Amino acid sequence: MRTRLYGWAAFPALLLVWSAAAWNLPPYVLPQPWAVAAEAVRWLDSGQLAAHVGASLLREAGGFAVAVLGALALGLAGALSPGFRAFSAPLTGLFMAIPPIAWAPLSMIFFGLGYVAITMVIVVAALFPMAVTVQEGFLAIRNGNLRAARVLGARRWQLIRHVYLPASLPFLTAALRIGFSQAWRALVAAEMLGASQGIGWMVAMGGQIGNATQVLLGVAIIGMTAWITESLVFRRIERRYRHWHLA
Amino acid sequence: MDCGIPTSPSGSRFETFPDDRSGGAAFHVDGVDFAYDGTHPMFRSLALSARPGEFVALLGPSGCGKTTLLNLLSGFLPPDSGRITIDGETVTPEMPALGYVFQSPQLFPWLDVLDNVRFGLRMAGRLPEAEQRDKALAALALVGLDAAAGKFPHQLSGGMQQRVALARALVLEPRLLLMDEPFAALDAITRATLNEELLRLCGRLGQTVLFITHDVEEAVFLADRVVLLDIAPAGIHSELTIDLPRPRRLRETRRLERFTALTDTLLERISAIVAAA
Repeated sequence: MRTRLYGWAAFPALLLVWSAAAWNLPPYVLPQPWAVAAEAVRWLDSGQLAAHVGASLLREAGGFAVAVLGALALGLAGALSPGFRAFSAPLTGLFMAIPPIAWAPLSMIFFGLGYVAITMVIVVAALFPMAVTVQEGFLAIRNGNLRAARVLGARRWQLIRHVYLPASLPFLTAALRIGFSQAWRALVAAEMLGASQGIGWMVAMGGQIGNATQVLLGVAIIGMTAWITESLVFRRIERRYRHWHLA
Repeated sequence: MDCGIPTSPSGSRFETFPDDRSGGAAFHVDGVDFAYDGTHPMFRSLALSARPGEFVALLGPSGCGKTTLLNLLSGFLPPDSGRITIDGETVTPEMPALGYVFQSPQLFPWLDVLDNVRFGLRMAGRLPEAEQRDKALAALALVGLDAAAGKFPHQLSGGMQQRVALARALVLEPRLLLMDEPFAALDAITRATLNEELLRLCGRLGQTVLFITHDVEEAVFLADRVVLLDIAPAGIHSELTIDLPRPRRLRETRRLERFTALTDTLLERISAIVAAA
């Protein structure tokens, strides 16, 4: 119970430290938390905040969806074929070693400034870590469960429907969580380089015009969006499968 | 096999299971050769058989190729030559006559206990769902777990999980039950209880049982006949008929002089096998 309290104290503590630091600095360098809150209200009222967040989420959704389909295909192929697994492992390792944002200039040369260029960066960022997780998950489906199902009379398609599919739910959720957060990081970075709206653009533009309040507002929204999807959506789904490992 | 008159654990549902001793299949292994990659021989002209309704314990020291033997007997691994048959039919994992209880329960963690037991009936798809549930409940009652039908595997102890696994195999009324050290991971008390319970069920349902174990006392307590496995690739070392009276009761049977004599004989033979290796 005591340990939980420390967890609840974390964000207020951060705000206190921020506020204390802001007392000693001019507001154009580090504004107070409530100044950022007031900025948020202004952006909300003008409808601009919704427009920027909406633009970012649209790109995230598009890139993430393409990456999910690609990762399922790659992961399944890798799990089923040892040859494909051996072939794809060095490539996946290479692509995962390159920070996704490094692809942004090339993507913009290819697709021009706009939705597709940024979305492609997201796809590259999310695809490979998700593919690896999906592949490892399918490989880890317990051979014992498969044998048990076969002895109970399950035929090939029944194994897929009644064993592979339900057994894959926990790691599919984990893959989604990993992919979504990777996509989100890449999205913000790509928007800072080459977008005319979006949360990343908000932060970059704030920096260029020397508006620290706008920068901090953008950063806070980036963090909150990530935190909400991570802990309120994906972790919750994952928690449902935690007990599976005990059986 | 005659296990005496079993008592019903929980009344009416028990009656949905056939009560005849002819429910067992004849099991034959004829001249089976098997080698990994054609170069590492595991078995040469292996021969083994069980009469309908017979309880055969396969007792093997470690290194006897137990895993390979089980994979052969259950049809997961085809032999290089020779045949393995249940009632004359070449064995496959999917054949309805074969039931298999694994070393670990291998329950499906995403299904509750009832649906775990119902799994095989669902796959076969011959019965309407309500009847499948009734049969699954009856099988759970056989192992004394009908009250746990709505629980999930992780909520059960290891012993209870293995009982569910047994019910899951029994609900399909297999004529040959292959059991791979099913109680090896359990504590001594649970294990003893389940051994007694298994004999009670076998007496009731009458399948042929092949029970793999490395526990000499367990083999003697359960079996009509103990087949002693040699270190691979030698195959079978020898056999011993267990002429202990049935029904067998844990405490009474183990106190019999004959029980001690039989276990001693087997222990001596195992020492000889290990010494020769």
